[in-house]
Amino acid sequence: MASAALRSQVAAKWQEGFARLNRTEPGISGLISFSQAWNIAADYLHPRDITDPLSAKAHGTADMALVKAAFDMINRSRRLPVMLETFLDSICNQYYLIARDIHRYLAQYEQSADIGVMFRLIYRLVDWYRAWAPIEELGPTIRAAYTLTFQTQLFSILPPGFVRGFKALCVSTLVPVVQISPFIWDAFETLGLTDRYEGLIASVGYERIEAYVHETCTAKWDEPCLERLRHWMSTQIVPWMLPMYAKGALNTEEARGMLQNVGSRFDFHMNKTLCDLRTSEIFDIIIDFPDSMGALYDLKECLQRVDQRSSLVQALRKANRKRLLHPGADTKLILSQYVATIKCLRIIDPPGVLLFKVADPIRRYLRERPDTIRSIVANLVGDDDSGDSLVDENEPIQPLQQLETEDYNDPNWDPEPIDAGPDFRTNKPSDVISTLVSIYDSKDLFVKELQVLLAQRLLAITDDNSEKVEKERRNIEILKIRFGEAALQVCEVMLKDMTDSKRIDGHVQSQKASIVHPTIISRHFWPSLESSDIVMPGQFQALQTEYAKEFSTFKPDKKLRWLPHLGTVHLELQLEDRTIEMDVPPLEAAFIELFSAKNVWTMDELISGVGGVDRVAALKALLTWVDLGVLKEDVENTFRLLEVQEEAAPPPRSAPAAAEEPTVTAAQQQQADQMRLYWKFIEGMLTNLGALPLDRIQTMLRFAPGYDQTVEQLAGFMEAARREGLVVGRDGTWKLNR
Amino acid sequence: MEQLTTSLAPPRANLKPSVTSSTQQVAGSVAKRLTNELMTLMMSSSPGISAFPKSDGNLFEWVGTIEGPSETIYSGLTFRISISFPANYPYVAPAIKFDTPCFHPNVDINSGAICLDILQDKWSAVYSVQTILLSLQSLLGEPNNASPLNTDAAAVWDTPDAFRTQLMKHYQPIKDTA
Repeated sequence: MASAALRSQVAAKWQEGFARLNRTEPGISGLISFSQAWNIAADYLHPRDITDPLSAKAHGTADMALVKAAFDMINRSRRLPVMLETFLDSICNQYYLIARDIHRYLAQYEQSADIGVMFRLIYRLVDWYRAWAPIEELGPTIRAAYTLTFQTQLFSILPPGFVRGFKALCVSTLVPVVQISPFIWDAFETLGLTDRYEGLIASVGYERIEAYVHETCTAKWDEPCLERLRHWMSTQIVPWMLPMYAKGALNTEEARGMLQNVGSRFDFHMNKTLCDLRTSEIFDIIIDFPDSMGALYDLKECLQRVDQRSSLVQALRKANRKRLLHPGADTKLILSQYVATIKCLRIIDPPGVLLFKVADPIRRYLRERPDTIRSIVANLVGDDDSGDSLVDENEPIQPLQQLETEDYNDPNWDPEPIDAGPDFRTNKPSDVISTLVSIYDSKDLFVKELQVLLAQRLLAITDDNSEKVEKERRNIEILKIRFGEAALQVCEVMLKDMTDSKRIDGHVQSQKASIVHPTIISRHFWPSLESSDIVMPGQFQALQTEYAKEFSTFKPDKKLRWLPHLGTVHLELQLEDRTIEMDVPPLEAAFIELFSAKNVWTMDELISGVGGVDRVAALKALLTWVDLGVLKEDVENTFRLLEVQEEAAPPPRSAPAAAEEPTVTAAQQQQADQMRLYWKFIEGMLTNLGALPLDRIQTMLRFAPGYDQTVEQLAGFMEAARREGLVVGRDGTWKLNR
Repeated sequence: MEQLTTSLAPPRANLKPSVTSSTQQVAGSVAKRLTNELMTLMMSSSPGISAFPKSDGNLFEWVGTIEGPSETIYSGLTFRISISFPANYPYVAPAIKFDTPCFHPNVDINSGAICLDILQDKWSAVYSVQTILLSLQSLLGEPNNASPLNTDAAAVWDTPDAFRTQLMKHYQPIKDTA
């Protein structure tokens, strides 16, 4: 049972509500007019199906004055919030109409993939929005509430297919060919699509930039692209961005301010895209250097904007590993690519951090190649077949630079860049040769190899070709500037020997003419020449002795030691029916000389006749004559001189080996000698220090001059020594076997 | 000039390289000389003598090995010695002692100290590790009994059997450990 208080409470509330709705009208006429006004307003606001012409018409013909009066009355009765709620409810109820429409359009779009359908859909949605919008007079609050509800409902029913279509639509806005109504952006805005799909719209922009960069910049390295791209951005992308990101801007100044943030994002993306592109192309860019300067400048600028340095290093290292540092690549090629890398990375990153990181594997690899030094030296003295010099001819020749320790008193001192590794050495921009030489710990190796090469080239000079000697001299002079006077002293002596030989020969010839023209070299200063036990027989011997006699009268304190195998002999063979004239190596000459005594020789007789030479070399020399139709191998290992040419002389198998290069012990063979020296040290330390582990031996070998073997090489060497029974290895330690 | 800087060099106590720049320089030239001597020693194949630096960090401490010359009483025995070079080597003789106990008239049986004129007042800079080792080797066969360090040994030198007994009593073969 309700109490009296409750009753009076309810009665009071009712009175109050009644008074509000009825106002001060007599009876319930106020209530009736309110109810009419409510009906008019509700009817006006009711979301209609715009596809239905009838209802649209009814809506259009509504008496605006009446509607406004009705809203006014509701407002005065403070029932507007309730009205709004009812209205929003009815929107939700009626939204199926829009959903139906959307599905229809999308189905159509899926079928035709026509952007036009999407356009129509967007405009249709705008139509719906406009049709359902309450009148302006209700104020912004109600309008905002309506918009929010409309958009919420819209987003809730948009199917996934819409996003695809929407993106296509956005893409189409970027293609200038299609004429698009500028109002589409307003439509997006009205429907709240801009905010909701901001990321998607931006990604459309990004994709466009990526596509454009790849399309116009791929493999175009001769000129910088960045400037052109920036121009393209400002003429193509910025106008597109304007309606979305700078809506409502009154003047360009304001628009610029609004675009700043998003604009730099787009600019960054462009830089990043270009940077990624160039990073993926870097290896080929380096190959094309210096025709790819443009790309390098682009990359330099991009890297300042985008932090991709490490990925550049990684990409280049990977490319080098895959394309350069493998057995299939020629050492010369690796060297020239390395030099190009140095030059390129110096452009991109002057302090050299990138270079240091990239160069390290290349240098390590080059160090392991046996012919690296030879290639570098060959290039230095211009002995390169490719003619493609590693060194820029315009580059001033300068002494080799030593690694400098940092000068902290330098007022222009800069700290190392932050991405420099702990073992980064500040290498001041140094010239290419210094960098190449610094692959190895000391330049001695180069000087040694240079001597070998020079010896080879000097000995290859036949006749008195002083021009060539002069050329070598010029080379050496240039190299002196690099390696220093002292290092090339030996080379100097070698060159002097050449001119001295000529002078001595001139003198000896003036005393007693001889057809022997020796090159007299100072054994001490020349690299070890391959020795040979050939003793020239017959007239050669006589000529040599005669010459030596004459020489010792001229230089009584010196003695000639012949290296007959290094010369060449000009021969004229007079046979019964023919005369043969040719240049041959000494061994060939020696053999044919023997045949002047008798016509048939066995192989063994021949070999002992020239004082000891291995069978392979002997056979090769004899085959030269066989090929020339001078000798014939009747029975195996028995040769007969053909005084009369035989008809069916076999065609020459190969060109006569006349111009064979003199053999000089190559660096590799010298290494074997070095190893023998190291063995003495190993023996010494094992004798005195007892059993030693391998790494200890390796460090102790530091005492051996010029020791440069790796632990692995040493292990191999110790293993070889074990096989010969010199050492015993147990548990990783080695001791002498006794 | 060389001589001047060398004589200015601090005595042996300051052996550590990198103490001061001047020691370093001197140490550098001494090290060079020692490296050369090592090279010569390794290359020469004198039978029965050998020496090598004790560790790779210090060129001034060496270990040597001397085999007793054949047809002497020391034949077949191997002695280990230690050689310690002063910082002003070669102007001052290296300090040498036997690590393997050596019963010999001119060698102290306990400390291993050696009494040999070229290691003391007769030292000259032209001597080298190799000459020292050769001298020591010949000293084994021909002791100087006039100035013995080990009087017992000098006393029994003329009776080889007794000497050999004493010698073998003290001798310890070299163990093969570093």
